[in-house]
Amino acid sequence: MFRKILIANRGEIAVRIIRACRDLDISPVAVYSEADTDSLHVRLADEAYLIGPAPSIESYLRIEKIINAARACGAEAIHPGYGFLAENADFAQAVLDARLTFIGPSPEAMRLMGAKTSARRVATEAGVTVVPGTTEPLESLDEARRVAAQIGYPVMLKASAGGGGKGMRFVATEEELPSAFDTAQSEAAAAFGNPEVYLEKAVERPRHIEIQIFADQHGNFVHLGERECSIQRRHQKVIEECPSPINDAALRASMGEAAIKAARAVNYVGAGTVEFLVSDRTREFFFLEMNTRLQVEHPVTELVTGFDLVREQISVALGEPLSFRQEDVSWHGHAIECRVYAEDPDSNFLPSPGRIMHLRSPSGPCVRDDSGVEAGAEVSIYYDPMISKLAAWGRTRSEAIDRLRRALDEYMVGGIKTTLPFFREIVRDAEFTNGNLDTGFISRFFERRAEAALRMKSEETDEAETTRRDMAAIAAALDYMQAQKQNSTGNQTHAQEEQQSNWRLTGRAALHRRIYE
Amino acid sequence: MKGKIEVRSQNTEFRRERAAKPPLSFILNCDFWILYSAFMKLIAEIDGEKRELEIKRDAYSVVAQLNGRHYEIEARDIRQGIFLLIVNGHAYECRLNQADTKRKSLEVSVGTHAYNVALTDPKRLRTAQQPGAHSDGTTAQIVAPMPGKVVRVLVEQGAQVEAGANLVVVEAMKMQNEMKSPKAGIVTSINVKAGATVNGGDVLVVVE
Repeated sequence: MFRKILIANRGEIAVRIIRACRDLDISPVAVYSEADTDSLHVRLADEAYLIGPAPSIESYLRIEKIINAARACGAEAIHPGYGFLAENADFAQAVLDARLTFIGPSPEAMRLMGAKTSARRVATEAGVTVVPGTTEPLESLDEARRVAAQIGYPVMLKASAGGGGKGMRFVATEEELPSAFDTAQSEAAAAFGNPEVYLEKAVERPRHIEIQIFADQHGNFVHLGERECSIQRRHQKVIEECPSPINDAALRASMGEAAIKAARAVNYVGAGTVEFLVSDRTREFFFLEMNTRLQVEHPVTELVTGFDLVREQISVALGEPLSFRQEDVSWHGHAIECRVYAEDPDSNFLPSPGRIMHLRSPSGPCVRDDSGVEAGAEVSIYYDPMISKLAAWGRTRSEAIDRLRRALDEYMVGGIKTTLPFFREIVRDAEFTNGNLDTGFISRFFERRAEAALRMKSEETDEAETTRRDMAAIAAALDYMQAQKQNSTGNQTHAQEEQQSNWRLTGRAALHRRIYE
Repeated sequence: MKGKIEVRSQNTEFRRERAAKPPLSFILNCDFWILYSAFMKLIAEIDGEKRELEIKRDAYSVVAQLNGRHYEIEARDIRQGIFLLIVNGHAYECRLNQADTKRKSLEVSVGTHAYNVALTDPKRLRTAQQPGAHSDGTTAQIVAPMPGKVVRVLVEQGAQVEAGANLVVVEAMKMQNEMKSPKAGIVTSINVKAGATVNGGDVLVVVE
């Protein structure tokens, strides 16, 4: 087993990997930027190394600094987490060149699957169906216009090096194309250091379903079933569940088989995720891309299958065979996860950086909170605003929703805006509880929500609401009265100090007498 | 037997001491009583809805009157900014956060509900500022919603813009946000350049 692993990441995923290291009795090493000096992942690790200033381009994306830290502390392996350098083949290569183990696939597999255009080519050659579109990065706006006209609007612009919705734009008409093309390119350049974008047909009312796969260095491939990630805003997932509400064993088996085909084509090793678009009507599925890393939403698969994906990643990186075969994988119950972001759902999900003043994390039966923060933590403007992932498990989807609703109501974060109020509404939404999901869910939900708010306003506020509002006013008043009192006692401080010092002097003298007598 | 007698004698002593010197909590209660025996009058605006509030606190006991509704409350200070209020057997955990330092209003969460509360103390004439309206119909200020970096300025001074036109692109937390004009008009002032770092609340562009 490894003795020491360096974690080239921050936040909740660094904490998650530290936990797996502890389970295996491996010493975890953190790296951090100047903005993260007192953050949780640094405090939970055995060793921590500063790798640069706050902007990630000067710290968490600095390959040589991370490798130097690993060498200096004698770590044998590096876990990249997700985001930052997790899908950077140059980083994986540099780790290997430093004669360290990279916990992930080979740089070749990352290169092939990392660029979405080559991934589409690989998938097509492996016999997996893809969405119509370009396989090469677009050279110019003119080329974008030509391709879009060829495959027909609406189309989707995507960053070749992308992920997480950055550098991604939905384009409904030709008029929108120039501005969307510019923004997608510059967003891609800022986020990934690569401005290349490509274009594909936008499938309407699609479900976003992905398959978790795992492979070892001995040629064994298994799939761990699907996760449904249709609930997205700005093309970024916010709620994920396992299994999909479709819960069709035959569909799972055929999608699993296709995912393994694609992974096998690049001699994949470790944990990977193959994303598909599934037509809600025909149940056809199209290969979208492959994520050559651990996914943010891996906990729901862990809750339903019982496997620890990070632990398995570490043992596979060590060269051990998979600890389970395909026939050992079974799916028990249902799990749903919410990504808690420091964002204001009432202002179009604008980031809400700041200090977390109060924090009460939920607990209780079948609830899992993967958090990277504690009360007092500063959510900075430099990184992704996700502060935690809240997941709940139940024997059925509806039992999981009951527990998730309870946990969301229990979760309190003060000082910054979070997406918690938004999730509290979603888990009470009929379309959600019925499992009618597709990637347009959020925009339809917002329309329903606006209508519901209007209805609410026209009705008289009920008694309970009136009392709650009164209590809010009373609490504010009590706080004001306290501040007033502090101010008035503040004015007397000087006189009090003089008086107190006499007491203190006498007391201290008495104490000394007692000690020395 | 001996032990029992000793206990009793200690008790008597304790009682005597208590009679001679009031405990600290009693003194604190007196302090509260002297400072707050009279009702304090405040105006509370909750999500824009005005209420007249009369309130009196005596240690754990709070009496309040809001628009004619009378409350007798047991109030506990849990921590700085957290109050537990118990009224007729109902418990309300209230958490206070500065919602916006510029607007001087508080965000008060009661359970899972959140309200914006602005207090005015008529005695001090310290009026809480009204939330700043960005557009008064003739001019519109495009304000940075959060700290970030200006990526691009898409218009020039004097340019004629339509409502919904993109003016500035601001990046924060790796997301680029296109700041749109809320109205049709002429760009009268551009306060930022590409590459500039801005704070939340900074006026970026003015459209008239």
